[in-house]
Amino acid sequence: MSMAVICRNVSAGYRQQPVLDDISLTIQAGQMVALLGPNGAGKSTLLRVLTGLQPLTGGEVQLFGRDLRQLRTTERAKLVAVVPQEVTTPMAFTVAELVALGRSVPRDRWATLAAADRQAVEQALAYTDTLELRDRYYSELSGGEKQRAIIAMALAQEPQLLLLDEPTSHLDINHRLEVLQLLERLNRERGLTVVMTSHDLNLAAEFFPQLALLDHGRIVATGAPAEVLHEELLEEVYHCKLAVRRDATGILVILPSRTGTAPTGKRVHVICGGGSGVEVLRRLCLAGWQVSCGALNQGDTDAQTALALGVKTALEKPFSPLSTGVLATAGQLAQAADVIVVCEVPFGSGNVKNLDLARQAGKPVLLNTRQVAARDFTPQREVQALIQSLIERGATPWEHVSDLLVELEKVR
Amino acid sequence: MSNSRRWPIWPLLLAVPVVCAGALLAGAAGLPDWHTPLGRAVLELRLHRILTGLVVGAGLAGAGVVMQALLRNPLAEPYVLGVSSGAGLGAALAVFFGWSALHLWAVPVAAFVTGIVTLTIVYFLAARGGGASIYGLLLSGIIVSAVLSNLLMLIVSLAPTEGMHSILWWILGNLQLSAQPLLLTGGALVLGALIILTMLGAQLNALTLGREAAHHLGVRTGLMIAGCLALATLLAATAVALAGLIGFIGLIVPHAARAWVGPDHRKLPGVAAIIGGLFLVVCDTVARTIVAPQEIPIGVVTALVGGPFFLALLLRRRKGGWIE
Repeated sequence: MSMAVICRNVSAGYRQQPVLDDISLTIQAGQMVALLGPNGAGKSTLLRVLTGLQPLTGGEVQLFGRDLRQLRTTERAKLVAVVPQEVTTPMAFTVAELVALGRSVPRDRWATLAAADRQAVEQALAYTDTLELRDRYYSELSGGEKQRAIIAMALAQEPQLLLLDEPTSHLDINHRLEVLQLLERLNRERGLTVVMTSHDLNLAAEFFPQLALLDHGRIVATGAPAEVLHEELLEEVYHCKLAVRRDATGILVILPSRTGTAPTGKRVHVICGGGSGVEVLRRLCLAGWQVSCGALNQGDTDAQTALALGVKTALEKPFSPLSTGVLATAGQLAQAADVIVVCEVPFGSGNVKNLDLARQAGKPVLLNTRQVAARDFTPQREVQALIQSLIERGATPWEHVSDLLVELEKVR
Repeated sequence: MSNSRRWPIWPLLLAVPVVCAGALLAGAAGLPDWHTPLGRAVLELRLHRILTGLVVGAGLAGAGVVMQALLRNPLAEPYVLGVSSGAGLGAALAVFFGWSALHLWAVPVAAFVTGIVTLTIVYFLAARGGGASIYGLLLSGIIVSAVLSNLLMLIVSLAPTEGMHSILWWILGNLQLSAQPLLLTGGALVLGALIILTMLGAQLNALTLGREAAHHLGVRTGLMIAGCLALATLLAATAVALAGLIGFIGLIVPHAARAWVGPDHRKLPGVAAIIGGLFLVVCDTVARTIVAPQEIPIGVVTALVGGPFFLALLLRRRKGGWIE
């Protein structure tokens, strides 16, 4: 297998503070590689090195077996094309005119835009699905269309290696997908080697069989997504808490956890269930409250959320009525709290005792009053009365999470 | 949306003989009699002015196209980097020291040389420590221009009255200035530079995407920028040497040319040259006929005609091939 890129001990940047520090990296022809890493890790500089924009301070770079320094500018442009984050031009080029710029430098010194050039442009337009945009002005396109046009321009160069510098960072999620699927297709059908920098770990994990993780100008890991995307490694590189999961279809999902909100020092106990507490729990944790929760059955959506957020929860066995022991634990949690929040939870004979908890704790209660009758599944239809009595004792009613947060601010 | 905004070039080519014939026939003396020596002299004089107008207009417009592309700025023009103030100073020096009396070519050559020297200084000031960036060029251009224009003012203030008058006429621009061999030399320079620029058109197109994008497309950007600046300077300095400082053409004609054929620099230098030449011939005809037998400075006419024209273009900016 031939090598598209070989970097041997490459350093670049300033002598005292190298942006790239002794990097060695090989990329096989026909591979798709994503360069990951935090801002300032050296991803973009590595791309600039590969295109000859950034001079080396040490080491050597080979493109398809040829020393980069020996490559003439025009020869290099036939091997490597670049898609930057954004391309602007003050000129009112149409898409077709822009794509034709991919043939700015004549392949054959004496030919003008020859038949081969025209064909390359047409193919690039067809591949990127920009044929119907050909007579539109580039500057009037949407972000996704612009990026497709720029990719078409790069393809018109008929390169063997396509470098992309965060090409999707300005795009919304469906245009990101569109661009990445296009890259995948180019890689599959044309054998194009694709190297892309990205901040989107999830998309990189899904679309790129090979990843390289950079930090402080060094490569800290290379390999398949499962090998590179480790929680500890990522937390070290990105300096934040995050969780690496596999979703139901086996795709790696990287979730950063928000941290840094100053804790309020106040405790809140949440009575929820059946998913009614997911958003409330998350928002309260984010706002810096110390949150407890319960009682809940194991396997309940809210129980899972509470677990993921590290919320102290009084848990009952799956599909069992709440036992006195668990209710007592929940009661202690409620006692310890400064305020109790009751979510829009459906009540049945199994969990209606949670409402008693709120009454007995003797703490301020914030009570969801939306469509109480519709979620009353107790045999005697007692929930309405219970809620009424709580309100008479001074509980504050709320309907939406945003209202709840406002009310909680008053308690705080 | 179709490409209908782009018009063919042949109407422009067709307009050249029509406009020139019109300019030849119009004048204070009316249609002169070909059979008298005086009539022939008048016609010859007008023909000379027409040819000078074509060459100077073509040079300024072509230089404007290049400057706007290189600096990626709709307000760029041939004089923005100091060619005009440098050439103006050179011409004023030639008049001031009496060289102009010694040789017919003294003023144009002095203007040409100082114009080119000025741009070289501006370029190397901007390129200190690497390639010249757009902002570096603009900044050093503005600074050098300011210094030189004030030196020019100093010389004007020191010059004797008759010297001042000829410097003033030169600063205002005048198509009557040049001698015939000078016109031929200038014409050849302008034509040559325009042909080379046309051949570099595809790479100029790429440069409008910015220096890095052009690099990725295989353009040797440092060489291209320096080379195109040199050609633009040659065009502008030639025009200035032939006819003094005529403003506005280098700014507005490139916009008009882009409105005509779009932003493709493989066509723009030529198209702008034709439009620029025609525009200057028309302006000169106006300048020498409107208050005949008095003649008004052609720079005044280009500004008065050009200003409203430019405004109209700006209002239909998109068509002008320039999008903010």
